[in-house]
Parts: sequence; structure tokens; C-alpha cells
Amino acid sequence: MSIAHGEGGGGGTVVSLAGRYGGLVPAAVLFGLFFFIPFGLIVCFSFWQDFDYKVIHHWTVENYRYVFHQSAYIRTMWATLWMAVAATGITLGLAFPFAYWLSRYVRAGLQKPLLVLVIVPFWTSYLLRMYSWLTILGSKGVVNTALEWLGITHRPLSLLYDRPAVIVVLVYLYFPFAVLTLYSSIDRFDWDQLRAAMDLGAAPLRALRKILIPQIRPGIITAIIFVFIPILGEYLAPQIVGGTKGIMIGNLIDNFFAGAEYARGSSVALVVALFIVLLLVLFRKSLASKEAYGA
Amino acid sequence: MSEERELTRAELLKLGGAGAAGLGLYLSGGSALAAQMRSAAARSTEGVTLNWLTWFDHYFPQQLTVTKKKTGIGCRTKLAPSDSQIYTTIRTTGSQFDIAAMDALWVPKAHKDGLTESFDLSSIPASKQLYPDARHISIWKDGSNTMAYPNGWSTIQVYYNPKFVKTKPDSYDALLDPKYKGKIVYENSPETMMAFGGLATGAKQPYDLTIAEIARAKAWLKKWKPNILKLVNQNTETVTALKDESAWIGLGNLGVELRVKAAGGPPIKVAYPKEGLLGWFDGEQKVARSKHKDVFEQFMNSVEGQTAWIAKNFIANGRPMFNEKAYKLLVNQGYKHRADLFNYSKPELIFKAHLQGPSKNPQAITDAFNEVFGG
Amino acid sequence: MARDPGVLTTRGRVTRGGLVGYAGLVYVFLFAPIVLLVLFSFNANQVGTFPITGWTTQWYSQVFSDPDIQDALRKTLEVGGEVTLISVVVGTAAAFPLVRSNLPVPAVFRVALTLPIMIPGILIGISLLILFTQVFHFQLSPQTAVIGQSLYTTPFVVLLVAARLEGFDRSLERAASDLGANTFNRLRYVVLPLISPAIFAGALFAFTLSFDEFVITYFIIGGYNTLPIYIFTQIKYGITPEVNALASLLLISSIVLMGTAFTLPQVLRGVRRLVRRRIAERQIVDPVGEATV
Repeated sequence: MSIAHGEGGGGGTVVSLAGRYGGLVPAAVLFGLFFFIPFGLIVCFSFWQDFDYKVIHHWTVENYRYVFHQSAYIRTMWATLWMAVAATGITLGLAFPFAYWLSRYVRAGLQKPLLVLVIVPFWTSYLLRMYSWLTILGSKGVVNTALEWLGITHRPLSLLYDRPAVIVVLVYLYFPFAVLTLYSSIDRFDWDQLRAAMDLGAAPLRALRKILIPQIRPGIITAIIFVFIPILGEYLAPQIVGGTKGIMIGNLIDNFFAGAEYARGSSVALVVALFIVLLLVLFRKSLASKEAYGA
Repeated sequence: MSEERELTRAELLKLGGAGAAGLGLYLSGGSALAAQMRSAAARSTEGVTLNWLTWFDHYFPQQLTVTKKKTGIGCRTKLAPSDSQIYTTIRTTGSQFDIAAMDALWVPKAHKDGLTESFDLSSIPASKQLYPDARHISIWKDGSNTMAYPNGWSTIQVYYNPKFVKTKPDSYDALLDPKYKGKIVYENSPETMMAFGGLATGAKQPYDLTIAEIARAKAWLKKWKPNILKLVNQNTETVTALKDESAWIGLGNLGVELRVKAAGGPPIKVAYPKEGLLGWFDGEQKVARSKHKDVFEQFMNSVEGQTAWIAKNFIANGRPMFNEKAYKLLVNQGYKHRADLFNYSKPELIFKAHLQGPSKNPQAITDAFNEVFGG
Repeated sequence: MARDPGVLTTRGRVTRGGLVGYAGLVYVFLFAPIVLLVLFSFNANQVGTFPITGWTTQWYSQVFSDPDIQDALRKTLEVGGEVTLISVVVGTAAAFPLVRSNLPVPAVFRVALTLPIMIPGILIGISLLILFTQVFHFQLSPQTAVIGQSLYTTPFVVLLVAARLEGFDRSLERAASDLGANTFNRLRYVVLPLISPAIFAGALFAFTLSFDEFVITYFIIGGYNTLPIYIFTQIKYGITPEVNALASLLLISSIVLMGTAFTLPQVLRGVRRLVRRRIAERQIVDPVGEATV
């Protein structure tokens, strides 16, 4: 039972309130000053009108009406959604065993370096890493050349410029995010608990499922947030490896901004953001899972 | 228990307070420093640093170093993705930038909207190196002044791999051929893609389509979509796609075939659609709200007068510059064949192309493009 | 504490072996594109892809003589460091009340703190641009870019630390305070060490996100360039392998730096031990110190 729970609703003095919520002050300053005013501006933009590469202060719901009536946006949103789900699922599925291995089987002194090694590829160039995938999956690329050399195929496979390629690249790009998040959650887990369970007759996988997973649930949910949400806004990966078949909603939004149509762009972007907020609200119980551990 | 609470709160309060104070100091420090820099810069012309918003193929860093040594004027360049971005940036950032590049018909718009100031070209001695046609660009004229210092130009044409494309695609409609399904690449540029559609459907000004023309261009684009493999981010990707033969046809600025060859790719041929070519020419403008307008001419004179670098620019980037003296230099250096291949000495050609410029219906253009290529 | 000493059974050993193999594959997957990237930095042709038309180091010499790219790199590191610092401090501080204090409608705070991740960077960039230039009248600089990036990176730190705090066993803190530790010591010796993996991960996140951040930064950094901006804006004609060369240099530097950071404590310990042993040996031979050197 945490100390916070024991306090109940008793607040009282200014100092006590400040002490309790004081940690939020820097964040409140940073976000209050620099995010919420601009965010308000973005909301206003979405209700204003684009004209002659400027936004004129003419209130209208035309932008929203347009988005909801154009099948292109709905179709793209739908495609983006399932691609994001697939990419997130695969990313987490691949990241979990790795994070598990790193936390449980690796010597403490070696853990941090191996973790940093996962993220070191990021310290080169985002664009270059994606171009490298063109070379790997291209028709004269590494994979095709290897397959032909091994005699498995006789003609190059078209691996690029469609949705699967985008998903592969997205998994590549977000895998370290998932690993970092899961690792910081699994680390310090008391592995004796699993052994105790197995001593009592549980199969190892069941022990994992019933004991480890619930306790790292906040970490898993956070990992999902860190992967799923940014993927919904991705536009470079689909553009470079997705071709015309792999377009995601981020591309359409980006086209608006590239043409200085901020009103339209804001409205589509806000629709996507609203959708995410809805998801977060729906799953808010899983996000604050104090009962899972039960101190 | 309550004692713990007190301490916890105090500790968190300290942390929060320290953070807020730090943030405040940091912010005020940043802007105070900037204000100091601003006033310092205004005090002297020696040690002036200009901010130049342009494309990366308008200069070499070495040119700027030479200029700094000779005139004392430093320069920081910022690269811009497109005309509309430059337009918006200059409009919103006020005096942040001193020089801004722009294409063709965008220049008069920026000038009309008060973003730039015209200047006397003949007062810049280096302008004598330019072709006469470049010195008297009619759409850039403002009385006896000009709105921008001319840089270079290019048309957009069709590049194809003759191994797979047996008939020369001499019209945009030829690109609709189902044989080329998923074999064509171009840049992800809504205005230009719609402009192709406009040209194909007989519009008079492909970059400035009317609503009716937009509808027709959109329909044409829908027919073309299955043939498009990819809408690229950078020209490198067009070259790569042509090189590994995942694309058979690519549209682009002058020089694509040379770049594919230099990258070790197959021989590529050029075709010029009979409906007409899109094209652009660009130049540097003096930003109206700049705090260093007085050194603009001196700076441009120094940078644009470095003929050797202008010639190198052509070799590196493959499209013609408006600098005539550089052409003579190229001929001397043995590049006459390549320069003539791209009509370097015939700048009058670009004025016959359908020039890049702003649209009266930008939103409708992007809408149409998104509707075609979405989902 | 993390290493499980009880892996002695055959099944345990097989599992461990399998996982090690899996991890190896993961590293191959992560570094394959990087290997290609480095390979192409030696490619003679301007378009850095196969075939390799010739081997050259010209791109490396170009990096060393290009003031633009060096300037961009400096700015990137400067901004990255500042962003990491701000995100970690602000984010960690905010995580505590989020998890421990009974906030009214905690979902609202969580959503509010997560919003910056949901909004496309370009929107944040543009609206911040207007805010800075038209409302606050700041001059745009790397510092304004730091603010913009921090908006984007801090939520990651907050959520990471919060997730860690959620599963935190408060009984450890209670035990410490029962033994007489005040809040500061509790934080320092019990809480922070136990959430340090999350803070470390958060710092890595913040720095990495900042390093690759292009969109927000582009709008609010004014006339300056960071590396991503420099690379992304070479649109019309595309990048050259000079970028590959720079990326390879960055890769080597970060590996060397990390290697040093992690092995240095061991090396220092070894040196210290050696010195102490020498001193001890001399004591044995010459306890009174009569012999001169």
C-alpha cells in the first residue's frame, strides 16, 4: 500500500500542495508557455481558411467537412492504422525477447554498453539508414543478389515500394525505442519469483505470462505508446520505401504543409491526434496499473 | 508519516523551483544574448554575417570563404525545400534572413507582397558576366531595377531506358501506356505533378491552373497513378531507381542521364514531350526587412563574380547557369560538348518553357493531388 | 541484481544459448544498413549505392574541409546536449507527481504530457515559429530550437520514468525511512538508483531523438543548421557520399566514446590496484623507508 494512498484527500496548506505537485512546475512552465499556446493556434488554424499561401482568419468548418467526406483520407487513415498496428506488434514481439535476455542473462556491467550499442546506429543519419534499406531490398540489392546467387530465385523479387517494405523499415526504426523502454521496465525484476513459481509446478512460459508480464505492464504499454503514436505520423519512411502503394496519412498531411496550406494540414493532423487521444482515454486503466504490483 | 510528507513535498518543491528558475534564466539568457548579437552586428559593417535562404546548388562554401576574406562579409546559408516554404519563411521570420532565392514567377509575387526589394542590377559589376537575356528578364523588371540576381535554369524532361522503352515517349499521354505500370518515378511535388497533368490536358498555364483545369488534370493524374512507382524525396532516388532498373522512366531536371551514367547505371536517353516543357530559372532576392540591405550588392558582386566556381557549379550540378563568362571558361577547360548538350549558351530557351510559379488555387491543387495519391 | 544466477538446468542453458543467438541476429539486423552506409562512404560515384564504381577517400577529405557540415555537426551536438539535460530534469521531476500524488483526473495530465508526440512536428514547428517571432519577439537561434525539441523529447522521459515508478516497491522507501533516512537521502540512495535505468534510457532517448530531429528544428532555428537540416534540404540534386563519410566518422566516434566511458572505470580500478600493490610491496621490503629510490 503506497504512502500516497495512505494520505487520502487531505491537502491543506499551500506548501503541502506545492510539495506534492511541485515536480510538475518545470513541465508546466515548459509546456504551458511553449506548447499550449501554439497548440491553441493549431486548433484555430484548423477552423480558419487557407488562401494565397496564407491563413486568413475566417472561421469555418470546411476543412473538417472536407476530410471526413473525402474517401482518400479515410482509406489512407485505415491503411495507416493497420500498418501501425502490424509494425507495433512485430516491433514489440521482436524487442521483448531481446530486452528479456539483456536484463536476465547479461552481466550487470555489460548491460549498459550492449544497450547503447542498440541505439548507436541512430547516431548516423536517419535519411541514410533508410536509403540503405533501398540498397538491401532493391531489385539489384543485397537480398535479391543473395537469393539469386543461392539459386533460390531466378528473377529479382519486388520487395520495395509497397506496404510490407514500409513495415519492415518501421520495425527497424522503432525497435530500439521498444528495447529501451522494455529494458528500463524489466531491469531489477526479482527473478526468484519465477523460480518460486516453477518450484510450485508452473511451466516456465506460464510463469512468465502470469508473473513477469503483469508487473512490467506499464512498461509494455509505454513501449506501445512510443512506437504506435509516432508511426501514425510517419511520412518519410513510406515515401522513401513505400512508393505510391505505401502512402500513409502523414504523407497527405505533409503535402499540405509543403504547399503552405496550414489550415487543411492542421485539421487532418488534429483528427489523427484526436483519434490517438481517444485511444489513450479508452486504455487509461491499463496505463495507471497500480494494482498490478500490489505493494 | 506526516513528517515524511512534509519533507517529500519540500524536496519536490525544491526540485521544481530549481528547474523553473533554471528554465527562466536559460530563456532570458538566450534572448539577451541574441539581442546583444543583433545590436553588435548593426554597429559595424565589418564582421557582418548575412543569412541566405537558398538551394544548396547556388554556391560552394569556398565561394563564401573567399567573399568573407575579400569583403569582410560572412554568410550563413539555410537550405530551403521549396518556393512556398521560402515565401512563408520570409513572411513569418521578418528580418531573420537577408537574401532569399526563388524561382521564376514566384519572384514577382514575393515582390508584390512586400517581402523583397528590387535593386539596380547594373550597379553590380559582376552582372556584366551574365548573358544579355538574363540581364533583362522582363517578369523580374521593376522600373529600371530588377527583383532578383539571376542564377541558373533548367527544363524538366523525360528520361528513359531504351532497353525497356522501345518507342520514344514524345508526349505526356505516352506515359500513360499500361506497359509502364509501376515504372515511372518523379519527385513528390504536388504542383509539378498537377502541372504535368495540366500540360497533358491542354491547360494554358500548368502551374496556375483554373478550377476546371484542375479537375481535368486530376482525372489525367488518376490514369497515370498506376504507372508511378515512387514519388521521390531527392533526385538521388530518381537516379538510383533508373540505375538499378526498378524504374524505366524518370522525369527530372537536366543532367539525369549523366548522373545515372556516373553512378554506374545503364545508358539513358532524353525525350521532350510535344505538349511543352515545364521549367524554372532562379535568382537571389534582397529581403525587404533585412537589416543589412546596404551590403547586398557588394556581397552578390563578390559571390557571383567568382567565375571559376560558377563553372564548377555547372560541372557538379549539371544544369546551366546564366553566367556567360563561365561558359567561355568551360569551353577553355574542354567542357564545350557537355555545356552544349544542355544548351548552356542558349538561355533564351528557358523563357519559352512553362515557368514555375505560384498558383491562384494552391489548396485545390494539393487537395486534388492528395485525392489521387491517397490510400 | 539483474543477472540470474540460477540458470544451471539444461533447459536454462538452452534458453540462454537460444537468446544469445537471437541477440546476435538482432545486432546483425541493426547494423546491416550501417555497414552498407560505411561501405558507400568510400564509393567513387556521387550516388552512394551499388555498384561500387571505384574506391576513394575524397568524401572524407571533403568533410574535413567543409565548414558548413562541421558547423552543422557542432550545432547538432550543442542542441542535443541541452535538450537531453532539460528533458531529463523536467521529465523526471514531472514523473513523480504524475504517479504518486493523487492528481485529479490523471488521464488529463497524461494526455496533456503526451500531446506533443501526437502532433506532427511540422505543426509544432510552424506554430512555435509564429509564437516566437510574432508574440514573444525572440530572435530565432539554437536556443529556440532547444525549446522546441524539448517539447518533443520530454514526454518520452516522463512516461519512461513514470512507468518505472509505477512498479516501484514503496516498501523499500518505507524501510529506509524507518531506518532514519530523510526524504533527500531516500531519494538519493533508494529511489533514484532504482529508477536510474529509466533515467538512463530517457537520456538516451532524448539525445537520439534530438540528433535525428529535423522538422521542428528547421522552422525555429533561424539561419543556423543542424546536421539533419543540412542533409534533408539538399533536395533538388540529392546528397553525396560526403554525408556517408560524416556518418561513418560519427559512428566511429560514438563507439570509441562509449567504449571509453564504459571501460575507463575498469581501467582506472586496475591502475589503482596496481599502484596500491606497488606501495604495499615497498612497505614489506622497506617498512621504515630507509632505502632511497
